[in-house]
Amino acid sequence: MGDYEPVLLRNVGVEGAATIGVYKKRGGYRALAKALKMTPDEVVEEVKAAALRGRGGAGFPAGVKWGFLPKDRDVTYLCVNGDESEPPTFSNRVLMENDPHQLIEGTIISAYATQSSIAYVYLRVEFHELFHILQRAIDEAYAAGYLGKNILGSGYDLECYIHRGAGAYICGEETGLIESIEGKRGWPRNKPPFPAVEGLFHKPTVVNNVETLCNVPHIIERGAGWFTGIGPPGSSGPKLFCVCGPVNRPGCYEGPMTITVRDLIYGDAYGQGMIGDRKVKAVLPGGISMGILTGDELDMKMDFADPAEYGLLGLGTAAAVVVSEDTDIRVVLRSIAQFFAHESCGQCTQCREGTSWMYKIARRIAAGEGGPGDLEVMYETAGNLGMMPGLSICGLSDGAAFPIRTLIEKFRGELEQHVREAPDEIEQRSPSTVRS
Amino acid sequence: MPKIEIDGIEVECRDGITVLQAALEAGWSVPHYCYHPGLSVVASCRLCLMEMQMPSPKGGGMEWSSKLVPSCQVPVKNGLVVRFASDQVKRNQRRVMEFLLLNHPLDCPVCDQAGECLLQDYSYEFGDPTSRMRDEKHKSPKKDIGPRTLLYSDRCVLCTRCVRFTREITGTHDLCVTHRGSENEIDVFPGKALDNPLQGNVVDLCPVGALLDKDFLFKQRVWFLKRTKSICPGCSTGCAVSVDSNEGVVYRLKPRYNPGVNDWWMCDEGRFGWKYMHDANRITAPVIRRGGVTGTPPWDSVPEIVDARLRAVIEAHGPDKVAVVLSPMMACEEAWLLVRFLRSVASEATLVLGPVPIQGQLQMFPVGSTGDAVRFTIRREKCPNRRGVETIIAETGGPTLSFEVFCEQATAGAFAAAWIVGGYPEPWVTKDFAKAVGQLEFVVAQDLFPNEVTEVATLVLPACGFAQREGSFMNFGGRIQPFDRAIAPPDGAKGDGQYLYELAGFTGLYSGRAVREMMAQEIHLFSMVKEAPPMPVHQH
Repeated sequence: MGDYEPVLLRNVGVEGAATIGVYKKRGGYRALAKALKMTPDEVVEEVKAAALRGRGGAGFPAGVKWGFLPKDRDVTYLCVNGDESEPPTFSNRVLMENDPHQLIEGTIISAYATQSSIAYVYLRVEFHELFHILQRAIDEAYAAGYLGKNILGSGYDLECYIHRGAGAYICGEETGLIESIEGKRGWPRNKPPFPAVEGLFHKPTVVNNVETLCNVPHIIERGAGWFTGIGPPGSSGPKLFCVCGPVNRPGCYEGPMTITVRDLIYGDAYGQGMIGDRKVKAVLPGGISMGILTGDELDMKMDFADPAEYGLLGLGTAAAVVVSEDTDIRVVLRSIAQFFAHESCGQCTQCREGTSWMYKIARRIAAGEGGPGDLEVMYETAGNLGMMPGLSICGLSDGAAFPIRTLIEKFRGELEQHVREAPDEIEQRSPSTVRS
Repeated sequence: MPKIEIDGIEVECRDGITVLQAALEAGWSVPHYCYHPGLSVVASCRLCLMEMQMPSPKGGGMEWSSKLVPSCQVPVKNGLVVRFASDQVKRNQRRVMEFLLLNHPLDCPVCDQAGECLLQDYSYEFGDPTSRMRDEKHKSPKKDIGPRTLLYSDRCVLCTRCVRFTREITGTHDLCVTHRGSENEIDVFPGKALDNPLQGNVVDLCPVGALLDKDFLFKQRVWFLKRTKSICPGCSTGCAVSVDSNEGVVYRLKPRYNPGVNDWWMCDEGRFGWKYMHDANRITAPVIRRGGVTGTPPWDSVPEIVDARLRAVIEAHGPDKVAVVLSPMMACEEAWLLVRFLRSVASEATLVLGPVPIQGQLQMFPVGSTGDAVRFTIRREKCPNRRGVETIIAETGGPTLSFEVFCEQATAGAFAAAWIVGGYPEPWVTKDFAKAVGQLEFVVAQDLFPNEVTEVATLVLPACGFAQREGSFMNFGGRIQPFDRAIAPPDGAKGDGQYLYELAGFTGLYSGRAVREMMAQEIHLFSMVKEAPPMPVHQH
């Protein structure tokens, strides 16, 4: 992969890349000028032709999403999802910290394509430093005439605001995000209506991930053909990958979606192997919510299709947590369960109660107090939540279910060892509560 | 009318409703917590889920979708095919019931809601008999959230009906959800209390024992309560209510569904406005004053006394010297019987409508709403039947006077006898009125509490509270709504309707319905009674 020329990260490490001058000197805002000479529909068609799939986790084609906007709409909003809350994921952060104008340019072009009048950048509250970097860049873009009224003399107006969250994973879900911008509790909405029809302030709304929008200027500048030339069909374009855990070089890297999990851990351009040559016990390759791989499943390709072959929910955020052989899998299980119990918004019964129940059980198993039936209850509970079986309003609970289910499936032996070793008295000490 | 298929059975349903409503109306028992017909749909309890046929993704016809769908959210459409009788649906119901009880304290023996609790009912009908939970329960606190209401958040199922009520119906936004996940709690905002004029409804809305009425707390097990259909006499809106009583004691009032009048709601003023009926100071037996001597005549002798005294007055002063002051607290039937009786003795008796209590401002909800957006109204006229009594006076004809003019004329000596009906829970006799009454030779006072009129009346007859009477009230909009008797009059007293019925020359037991039928012969309007519809099964 040494010959891969970074696109999205091309300005990372460049002195002053976050300023408009350096960004422009390196070719910035050319795509915007080009896009404004196209009709909005032409921009949409170009993005559709590039088959740009959403980088936020679900992989829904961005152009198709834009196409859902009703034809006769009066007001449209664009929401930029910068809530980046998935554990081990920090690619949006790298993009915004190092190259904020790339996002702003992508936002303006996408807002133009969707004829949005206001773009809201929803920013994770923990991005303190980044907020100032991005706000400075937005101010620069206003001053340069890229935002505001009559952008580059095109007659197109766009206002751009940053809206900071308050520390909730759920606000990364697009309708949770919309509610949050509206000043409400970030409880996801029932769909339909989808945001494209009725979103922010009841108006047609597009919500796109930061990385997705960062791809847009390059598609416009270099064309859909260039974009589809990178990576396999169905997973085209440059992609950011994160890797963390006991690897030699944790970080955020760019590459085509032809790489495997093994490349991400061991590749020279990526993680460069495990610290002290430890063995990989497990990997959660798509953020934690997509599910888990064993150390024998490292040939999984980091694209939109292959994860399903390994029982995973999807590519997710393409951010891998590597678990080494010396880590107790019970601790992994507990950490995962804890995260979702903490982040479930509590709106739907199954997710609210299921995630906290699974955490209680996982905590007990990790403490060596797992009893017979615990794994079964946990596994079954993980099967009793989720949007995919229609049991909840949003996908958070699918994200809670998949890592726990796949972990129990793939590491049952190790878990059972600990559970079986648990003293029999546990069963007698806390018998099932009988109610009538 | 669209036809849908539920569990293989064709169901014809009303337009514009959801599958859940259609199923409930057609008699299906579908568990649900967050859905309430008077509130917006949030589809968050995930208990009413169903299977639905969708176009096959492979093309060529319909097939059962692998996803469950909230029936509260799907509008009925001709040809829709759904099912609740499936393993997947039932499994979800069992699991949701298990989930909801994970952190529930199971303190039914000390819970007010026990007996009318949807956690109990649904657990019995849809849940498993055992729990697999072996970890410690998360315990949410008990909170005092307002002057009248407690929140035991450990019992809460987070259906958010109460939160939506304060947003959508009162517009006061008093309640919110705090925390996250299984630590979610309903709460008021810091330094604020749940204290809006309709707040009692959140207790009714709560499907479990989380929101509790301090007034009713630990007073009665609900299965001892007898439920009687009534109409709130608190203002001229005429909310349909249920009076819950046991052994002659009222314990609480609950709203009854009454579309276009009060829908599912009632105000706190009405909800807690019945206490006067059990006041120890009430007049409970007839009193007669003869030459400075006070006695209690047997009820049997009352018609005789009234008849003899009235005739004596008429003989001495003429038939136009008799007046009757009717109260807007009276039922239509009672007013009609009294008028009929008095006119039969004194054909030129003057009919007077007593004082109409007006208090405060018209209160419309949600706060600040107007026109079609108004969901509930508390009216200034704090009596239930001004229009009904006015109608009877107008339709009967003959001499009538306004209350003010009557006071003036009576003070000037224009009358010799009067039958004065009170029945107001609050003191109502003004100085002027007491002075006017003082001029009369013979006064019958029919009232709840002793006052300046009953102190001087020749004959005092006990009046009863609304729950001790039956009849009908005509509300502000002219709707005639019947109400039943929930409890017996206090010992020694007799129902107003009963003794007026006897005075009017009828024998046997007074019945509001029977009297209404007679009234309708004379005043056609009274054939158009409007009963609130029965509460649909499984709708709480």
